[in-house]
Amino acid sequence: MDKGLLAYLLIPLFSALVIPFAARGREKLADILANVTLLAGLVNLLWLALRPSVIAGGFEEIPGDGLSLLLVTAIYLVAFCVTFFSAWFVPAGMPNRRAYYSLILVSVAAMTGVVTAADFFTLYIYIEVLAVTSFALISTDDSPKGLEGALKYFLLSFPASALILGGIAVLMMTLGSLSYDNLHIFMSSDVPAGPVVFGAALMMLGFLIKSGVAPFHMWTPDAYQGAYAPVSAHLAGIVTKISGVYAVVRMASLLRFFDGRAQGLSALLMLLGLVSIAVGALAALRQTDLKRMLAFSSISQIGYIILAAGLGTPLALIGAVFHLINHATFKTVLFLNSASVEKATGTTDMDKLGGMEHAMPWTSWTSVIALFSTAGVPPLSGFWSKLLIILALWEAGLKGYAVIALLFSTVTLAYFVMMQRKVFFGKKSDAAAAATEVSAPLLAPAVLMSAAIVALGLLFPYVFSYLKMMAGRIIL
Amino acid sequence: MNYYHTLLLCATVALAVWAVMARGLLLSAVMLALVSVAVSLAFFSYGAPWAAVFELSVCAGLITVLFIGAVSLIRREESAKPENRARFHALPLVLAIFAIASWFALPPFFAELSSWIRPGTGGGQIGLALWDLRRPDLLGQVLMLAAGVFVIKSVLPGRTQK
Amino acid sequence: MNQFAIDWYLIALLIFTGLYCMLASRSLVRQLVGLEIVSKGAMLCVISAGAYSNNIVFAQAILITMIVIEVVVVATGLALLVKNFRVNGSADVWQLNGMKG
Repeated sequence: MDKGLLAYLLIPLFSALVIPFAARGREKLADILANVTLLAGLVNLLWLALRPSVIAGGFEEIPGDGLSLLLVTAIYLVAFCVTFFSAWFVPAGMPNRRAYYSLILVSVAAMTGVVTAADFFTLYIYIEVLAVTSFALISTDDSPKGLEGALKYFLLSFPASALILGGIAVLMMTLGSLSYDNLHIFMSSDVPAGPVVFGAALMMLGFLIKSGVAPFHMWTPDAYQGAYAPVSAHLAGIVTKISGVYAVVRMASLLRFFDGRAQGLSALLMLLGLVSIAVGALAALRQTDLKRMLAFSSISQIGYIILAAGLGTPLALIGAVFHLINHATFKTVLFLNSASVEKATGTTDMDKLGGMEHAMPWTSWTSVIALFSTAGVPPLSGFWSKLLIILALWEAGLKGYAVIALLFSTVTLAYFVMMQRKVFFGKKSDAAAAATEVSAPLLAPAVLMSAAIVALGLLFPYVFSYLKMMAGRIIL
Repeated sequence: MNYYHTLLLCATVALAVWAVMARGLLLSAVMLALVSVAVSLAFFSYGAPWAAVFELSVCAGLITVLFIGAVSLIRREESAKPENRARFHALPLVLAIFAIASWFALPPFFAELSSWIRPGTGGGQIGLALWDLRRPDLLGQVLMLAAGVFVIKSVLPGRTQK
Repeated sequence: MNQFAIDWYLIALLIFTGLYCMLASRSLVRQLVGLEIVSKGAMLCVISAGAYSNNIVFAQAILITMIVIEVVVVATGLALLVKNFRVNGSADVWQLNGMKG
């Protein structure tokens, strides 16, 4: 456990425990407490990472391995956007309002635990806490669809846990310990790897199911589509990425894929990544529901991260981590905008929408920024991460993989242009005629995140120097 | 060969099959409790008394109570629409086929796996091990319990609203 | 053929039974029963791995946390089940097909 970041786990937990008592009878206090907690954490983290002296020193002063700090910042950023949005979105008098904010704060604490864990069993515990909170968050609004999504997520996520536990048992027996450091030292040595890789593969399979990669993606669209609107941004933006994809990336760095110690596993991971890119993009093309299309697009983008993690070279890991961060920014914008559209028109069915551009200009243009970033249009941040991943593939001699990844990147652009045309451009539909732009506080999170997308893209040299420092620390 | 031990695990499997095949959900929950008891006896025979006590009190006790409570809430509807039993009656057959087919693959694989075992130092006390080595886990337990309370509060927000 | 191999073979049968139950049943309660059986199998894996590698204290320290997690998970599952019963009036998983695509 990274002790320096422990406060970012404990303070949200404390706030979560305080909210039910403090906000009894004063509903607004729950919103304020949750927002203040997350904003304070965010400011603190940005101060830690972006002080002028730290930037000038090439980020060498960052404590820990750099990856934890980066991801904790992303977690706080997304969660802050979601709670800020919720404060104006959640209707007054919702019976479980206090529990809702407490659950978001507990899930932030759990995610911080996941990214600061230094041991596989600790990782497993926090992932389980995160899963339990997300079921309740998905079904916040008591809709039948939300319950359906939550139950499907539940029934697929726990068999995956059994796989992870089996892997932990094998690892405990053959490695004698569960800490990351021991696995890393073992993989760097010349001892034949044998069943240690088998145990790691069992765990990896569990994490792949939890991250919703292609053959195991059945639960993702249902959970995202059915979830309560702000929760789907939280879930798609950060929760499933931390509970599955982060663990895969971390294990890829520990297993030293780049020097061929776990060749089979690495090849399998890359294949699954590629399948996931293709399946997600092709399924997204023929969706009619906005949120469901975004969910399939999320599966496709996860494919890029898994593909890069499977390759495992330093450049690929830099690309994977950067794409993880970018995914958090652009998917949060898109899902929050879909929530705004839902609030303004009452539907997310793309066939019933159209011509929203004049009614909702801010929502429309932030969506354009986010989807260009997803599709990899320069100079937005998504372009750089995809470029890094494709360059790493090319450099490793996997030209076929690189070309396919590039091709599906254009498919991404195609389905997003299609979505933008159906929802925002074109003729005004009946549903859009009465719609007006949502209030400024609901727009603020999307605008903030769009600014982050542009800033990360334009300031790429600084981002790259941070990521290079991080890659050096997690691989060596 | 420790026959007592093997017999216990066989009994666990048999009870699990019974729990799956039981016609009523209540009987199923009771059989699940018996599976827990058998597992806890197996823990004793592995030399893990603390785990066994926890298993016996929490899994065989608390979880069974939760199950029976939930089953009694939905039992009427459940008995109105009985399930297709054929798939459950097929379980012993399917399990036997799986057992015979995997007999040739799994035990040799596990025997191979056991040759890679790296013996640990053992020793130590359970409380100290929890406190010294697994302190982040204890924090995780606190977080898990907090999450559980909020989940119940959020999913079932009191009867007064109904 | 050693004791360890026989133990894990029987645990594999236990896990298979649980998974079969989860796949074959339509009732959410029975799916939870299957889940419980699978997780019992995982617990036996951890304890026997500890016992055979002389790490039993470590394994017990892990298992106590696992039991706490399992209780909360089962409670969550049952709460979702009861809520689903109240909202949809059924505990049948195959009726959950409101979303397609």
